[in-house]
Amino acid sequence: MSTASETAPAPDARPGLLAADVRFAVLCALGIALFPFLLHPLGGYSTLATQIAIVSIASIGFNLLLGYAGSLSYGHAMFYGGGGYIAAILLLRVSPQHPNLWLCVIGATVGTALLAVLVGAVTVRLYGIYFALLTLAFAQMVYFIVEQAKDWTNGDDGLQALPNALLPLGPWSLDLTTHLPKVNLGPFGDLGELRYWYIFAGICLLLVLMLARVLTRSQFGEVLGAIRENEQRSTLIGFNAPAYRLAAFAISGALTGFAGALRGLFDGSVPVDSLSIDRSGSFVIYTVIGGVQTLFGPVAGTAVIMFLENVLSARTPAWRLIEGLIFVGVIVFLPRGLSTVLRQQRGKNPRGLFVRSLRLPTEEPDPLLKPAAEGQRGGPMSIIETFKLGKLFGRFAAIRDIDFRVNPGELRAVIGPNGAGKTTFFNVLAGTIAPTSGTFNYKGRDVSRMSGTSRVHLGIAKAFQTASLYTDQTVRQNCRLAALARVQGRFALQVFRRSTRLDDVDALAERAMGRLELLEVADVRAGDLSHGDKKRLDIAIALATQPQILLLDEPVAGMSKDEARKTEALIRKLSTEMTVLVIEHDMEMVMGISDSITVLHQGTVLATGTPAEIRDNPRVQEAYLGGHSEAELTTG
Amino acid sequence: MEAFFEALLGGLILGLIYVAIAVGLTIIFGTLRLVNFAHGAFYAIGAYVGLVIAQHIGVGWAFVAAPIAVALFAILLDRVVLRMFYDKEPTAQLLVTFGIALVVEETLRLMFGATTQQYKMPDALSGSVTFGPITYPAYRLLFAAGVIVMLALVWLFIERTTYGLIVRAGIRDRIMVQLLGGNIRQASTIVFALGAAIAGLVGAAATPIYSIDPATGFAFLVPSFVVVVVGGLGSFWGAVLGGLLIGELQSLTNLAYAPASNVVIYLAMALVLLLRPQGLLGESEVIRQ
Repeated sequence: MSTASETAPAPDARPGLLAADVRFAVLCALGIALFPFLLHPLGGYSTLATQIAIVSIASIGFNLLLGYAGSLSYGHAMFYGGGGYIAAILLLRVSPQHPNLWLCVIGATVGTALLAVLVGAVTVRLYGIYFALLTLAFAQMVYFIVEQAKDWTNGDDGLQALPNALLPLGPWSLDLTTHLPKVNLGPFGDLGELRYWYIFAGICLLLVLMLARVLTRSQFGEVLGAIRENEQRSTLIGFNAPAYRLAAFAISGALTGFAGALRGLFDGSVPVDSLSIDRSGSFVIYTVIGGVQTLFGPVAGTAVIMFLENVLSARTPAWRLIEGLIFVGVIVFLPRGLSTVLRQQRGKNPRGLFVRSLRLPTEEPDPLLKPAAEGQRGGPMSIIETFKLGKLFGRFAAIRDIDFRVNPGELRAVIGPNGAGKTTFFNVLAGTIAPTSGTFNYKGRDVSRMSGTSRVHLGIAKAFQTASLYTDQTVRQNCRLAALARVQGRFALQVFRRSTRLDDVDALAERAMGRLELLEVADVRAGDLSHGDKKRLDIAIALATQPQILLLDEPVAGMSKDEARKTEALIRKLSTEMTVLVIEHDMEMVMGISDSITVLHQGTVLATGTPAEIRDNPRVQEAYLGGHSEAELTTG
Repeated sequence: MEAFFEALLGGLILGLIYVAIAVGLTIIFGTLRLVNFAHGAFYAIGAYVGLVIAQHIGVGWAFVAAPIAVALFAILLDRVVLRMFYDKEPTAQLLVTFGIALVVEETLRLMFGATTQQYKMPDALSGSVTFGPITYPAYRLLFAAGVIVMLALVWLFIERTTYGLIVRAGIRDRIMVQLLGGNIRQASTIVFALGAAIAGLVGAAATPIYSIDPATGFAFLVPSFVVVVVGGLGSFWGAVLGGLLIGELQSLTNLAYAPASNVVIYLAMALVLLLRPQGLLGESEVIRQ
């Protein structure tokens, strides 16, 4: 997949950036300028060219949501039609003597952005079919309200015969319906067929394309892509996923509303159909046929399908069937759309062979990885303290009444037979599961109700039992994302800046990789790593958030003996700089590296003590170690 | 008062259609983890097959031919296209089934035209039944009874047969069922065909009441999805409760303030999603997509 290369820019792509942007803009402008003349010999006409340019903007907006945020909206007509109605009502009600196009378009864009924020506030926490249905539901409600507010919207008939809005440009007012001067272009038609509207719509499309390019390559786009790829990981390195999706929804809605306003003003009418389910479906069709996750896909899809609609509908009643067959064919055979045919599929990892600045891991404590509480062991204040912590699943108590204290800098192992509640306990500490009773104090502060994302920023990071990675991205990119979350915070609307401008991010990622001895594979795709490297990468990701507490859920599970010992040594080293809590079944490791051990049994604490105390505790031997021989325990 | 009772009965019949489609959606989701946007197409195909058979051969045969034809179509669809999408993300499934729905709708439009059609029920069933102050067409009551019997059979299938066990287990944990050696593949095909056949049969049987045009499938599908969400994805009784609630809500709103009857169900769904996201009878453990 070339997703990774699109959403996460190469750190070394900085030179020539401006030149690439300029080249992109010039090519787009050229394409837009030639489009109506290429359409002419195919049987298209200038009105269609303008409509395609306008609707393309809506499709680009739709694709920002579907392609880059990964949410399928089935209600985008509420923004498209909504933008049209807002523009038309502004045109009719606010000084109809001096109709101002800017006022209508900007009003519609702001209005639909607000609508998107309102609708998004309740929809962004839902996924898949739930998100699609709820957006559809809101679109139907908007349809209903517009249909009923007859005084303002003229009900079922829609708003017809709108006055012609003028485009104020400094001291002049441009009438966009004016034709261009007549110049005969032979088979390509006549320049005079075009109105100034096409130039205006074309410039808008060009600007929106450039905006979409910048946005998808920006820090914002990078995080959005990360959330789409692995939301679980993204929230637990400290990105506020709902906020990102809400922002994407708002931008998407505003762009679609902008297009709806242009279309209404260009057509001089806003039909109630512009709010219909069919309209919402058309954006799905255009975008998917053209190619999601591509810049030009939505434009290409819109152009092809609108052209077919207009040209074929006059010739055959089967044109909608043809459209449907193209749609299904594209999904089955070209899941990334028509536009992927036109260009060569990029390599999985274009920078795979290039290892940058391979630094030897330093032995001194790293200034970027802050030691927890100045490295003091057994200080007066516990860094973690829980009181009667419990979690019920229905009537089943996964954990209950857990009183648990960890001192700063300690390496604590949490052991217990399967089903003892170890993973649930860690999830409650990490904030992915809310406790049903009790409190969890971190550095003396009650964080029981705080989200996992917020806890990451306080310094609690977790590595998963099954490594949770961005499998399509390189090891470095995985670590960079975590470091980015640390540097930028939960949410940053950095839609113009690239994350490569942040030097701390690279340094943090580099250190984290160094600590886990992953520098040699820094440019390997995470999905291609060995099992042991995947597990270590998961720890490196957690480390790149600069944690003060590291929660490791079975860090060596499934590793070979050598790998396990190597990882064990790395964890031991990490524990000199931070507090480490580790769940592990490997008794040799547990006995060898931990400062102290807590035994969980049937959801509650059975014993806590030093490895020697735990080994000699008869209750532990009876309840937990029944299946293990004495010899197994003493090998540590 | 009579209008109220008529609306109540109308809501029951509409609700039963929703229940039948929603139950199909739910058992298909349970075994295949497939969110099927093409399910409305099964209803429409059943209705048109029923229409043709009823007009040329006889109404009785329509009720036999419609579910069989739709089940065969579903198996074909499953084998040729959908099997490629079982393991894909839900968005891809939504898109491909949406595309299939489009193709079916347009094919029906080409074959039968865009106009609304209906077939006459046999004279024996065209009378009405009077009880108390209200008179109601006999066919509608028979239809309601028939759908209830059919739902009871589906319930027995889910609760009492081995395939039903796989369906129920699959709703909880599909991978576990495979690991335990449950023949998911065969069960999937049977369940998919069954879900489709239910929709097809109801489509054929409902045509004398509601008439049919190519867009009807989609028109019934969306409220049925609302029903599934309101009742709880993967829950049989959730589909029943949700279907009856939505049907009555729509019918009674139509009586009180007709223009709102289409939007009120969306309002209900939004409320349920906000207050009880797993649906009225859904279990929160069921994996939400």
